[in-house]
Amino acid sequence: MSSSEPPSSTPGSSANPSVSSNDVEPRPARRTVTLAIVVGGCAIAAATAIPAAAFVSAPIASKGAAGRWVRTLRLDQLVDGEPKRVAIVDDRRDAWTIERAVELGSVWVVKNGDEVSAYSAVCPHLGCSVNVAPGAGAGFACPCHTSAFAPDGKRKSGPAPRDLDTLATRIEEGFVAVDFRRFRIGIPEKVEA
Amino acid sequence: MSLLRRLGDFVDQRTGHRALLAHALDEPVRGGARWAYVFGSALLGSFLVQVVTGIALMTSYAPSEKTAWASVHYITFIQSGGWLVRGLHHFGAQAMVVVLAAHLTQVALYGAYKKPREVTWWLGLSLFAMTLGFALTGYLLPWDQKGYWATRVATNIAGTVPVVGDATQKMMQGGAEYGSLTLTRFYALHVAVLPALLVLIVSAHVALFRKHGVTPSARADLTRVELFFPKQLLKDVVAVLAVVAVVFVLAWREHGAPLDAPADPASDYPARPEWYFLALFQLLKYFHGPLEIVGTVVLPAVLGAYLFALPLLDRKPGTALRGRVGPLVPLALIAAGAVGLTLQAQHQDAGDEAFQKERLKADERATIANRIAKEGVPPEGPLAMMRRNPDLRGPELFDKHCTACHTLGAHGADKDRTAPKLDGWGTEAWVLAMIHDPDGDARFGRSIYKGEMPSVDVPSPDSPPTFKPMAAEDQAAVAAFLASFGDTAPPRDPAKAAKGKTIVAERCTTCHLFEGKGDDSDEGLAPELSGWGSVPWIRAQIANPATNATYREHALDASRKGHMPRFDGEIRAEDIDLLATWLHAATRR
Repeated sequence: MSSSEPPSSTPGSSANPSVSSNDVEPRPARRTVTLAIVVGGCAIAAATAIPAAAFVSAPIASKGAAGRWVRTLRLDQLVDGEPKRVAIVDDRRDAWTIERAVELGSVWVVKNGDEVSAYSAVCPHLGCSVNVAPGAGAGFACPCHTSAFAPDGKRKSGPAPRDLDTLATRIEEGFVAVDFRRFRIGIPEKVEA
Repeated sequence: MSLLRRLGDFVDQRTGHRALLAHALDEPVRGGARWAYVFGSALLGSFLVQVVTGIALMTSYAPSEKTAWASVHYITFIQSGGWLVRGLHHFGAQAMVVVLAAHLTQVALYGAYKKPREVTWWLGLSLFAMTLGFALTGYLLPWDQKGYWATRVATNIAGTVPVVGDATQKMMQGGAEYGSLTLTRFYALHVAVLPALLVLIVSAHVALFRKHGVTPSARADLTRVELFFPKQLLKDVVAVLAVVAVVFVLAWREHGAPLDAPADPASDYPARPEWYFLALFQLLKYFHGPLEIVGTVVLPAVLGAYLFALPLLDRKPGTALRGRVGPLVPLALIAAGAVGLTLQAQHQDAGDEAFQKERLKADERATIANRIAKEGVPPEGPLAMMRRNPDLRGPELFDKHCTACHTLGAHGADKDRTAPKLDGWGTEAWVLAMIHDPDGDARFGRSIYKGEMPSVDVPSPDSPPTFKPMAAEDQAAVAAFLASFGDTAPPRDPAKAAKGKTIVAERCTTCHLFEGKGDDSDEGLAPELSGWGSVPWIRAQIANPATNATYREHALDASRKGHMPRFDGEIRAEDIDLLATWLHAATRR
């Protein structure tokens, strides 16, 4: 290390052996040194701050889980026109953790004749969990900010910016499968998160 | 420009920042700017790097026994920029230790500890201890084998201190054993307690330094006075830049920082501390039994006491090195001793074959752990992940349960072998060798089945006069068919395998079972051939070789002494699965 060097080898000290102060320093030289200090300081800051900033902002580039078909309940467990809340059970990858067969969320499933519809249980207003409204055929209601939705998911009243988000369904070997997705909250358009 | 000036005026009237800045920059440097004075600033600079990267790491690190390793793995291998941030933090810590040693050396050589700067020196010593505290607590946080075992040694050393040792150790560990509380305590020390103390003491250290100013070299021209800005500041910036550059290059070259396998309290691990603690580590080898405490406590305490007392021992006026040789001799001895012990420790490890072998094994485990964790770590933690991996668990189980009779590759000793060698078992080549020469040494030659199976092409004394050697082409078909059960890919030549099936069903069932039927000779010896070599066949054979699914129902009768035993009571079902999966792959390698 340079601490063991003889002190006389200190560079830059021979140029101005007697008295030196900032005032005798020629202006252009002083400006160059100042510039060097600023550039050096910025380089040090950048070498640390840029990797750290990239690290901390990594989640911005992350995407929500892609859509996936998940089997829920058997078709014959549904009563015509009666919404049923079903859990979406599948594997979940969360940062470093992989969990097998956990509840990812829930959706509302309704059968009307041959048609089976599914609605995301996440309120498009601010993400509360939507419930059925009291009374048969009353549709859905959000318990947080009183948004109300018709039985077919259409927005009836309240602050919600759009209808309940519909999810694709299909019948697999007698089971209702749902294409489980999440959508961005609080905007009028249905956009995947 | 004038707008900027007016803004400056506005702020200055309200904060007085110009006077503050001038005070900071116009510090007089007696004797002029020198490279020798840069180490303090270099330390501050590298500490700031640690703060920035450390806070970034905190946003992804999760301190618990089940998540610490997994989150560090995520940082290192998955999160973008993670490897670099962790690499900068890892090598930045080592750089701090190096620069700290340089700073201390410079201060000692220049006599900067002397009256009236004793308190500055003492504060500096406490900062030294704190930096080592940072290194020690940080080393544990990844909760990998390296950090875990090295830190256990350190806390056990704390435990050997008389009177307060036990309480200290329990305080540090959060109990009598290592666990999640150890991690949370070390984490709290590392990210809150030590940083707060450090900032406090650094402030006092710098304030005292500013009060007394630099200690110029004894030969310096004291009539020459420069201000801190710009010459000394430039040198300081260059020094910090150099440290950061070295750290950056190291982090880049190593692509981050190493991560060992997850901490496993049940494993054998060749524990070594980080290189700057190697001297202390080596010291412990020389003190045995009741003298142990000399290496763990007495010598380090004497060293600390000496450093503390140095300004009191060296009281003669003047900073010329010649007049201070006496008080500085111990420091030189300590430095030489530390270097010597470090080299000795490295030399001994390099020449220690057992250690190298253990190290290699540990590295292999780390590589596998880091690979499989990319698929995610279960909530039960990384050890559960390791336990459920056939590549890791398989060889362990094989060594423990199978090598008494079998060998496979480097597993098991051939002199102890009383059952077939398993290399290549299940492949076409193995079947060809088996049907030609069943009693070969690698096959039944040393087992109780020696002499029980006839060759298909070499007549034996028991062969009937009608014996006709099997055509080479038919042998190849039989081999292709039997090997196909264990193949993951469909047979390359389906017609050949189909022909093999016909031959097996006709010719082998005199003794063997095939799809549950056969054994016309009624001897009850030869195993089932359908599924032979597949994972289910191996699993069934390990669990219980006397079910007709593999070997026959009488295989474990007293008359068949020496037959492979059943393991279903001894090895858990999940482990039998893993062993079968691994064996299936390993025999084919």
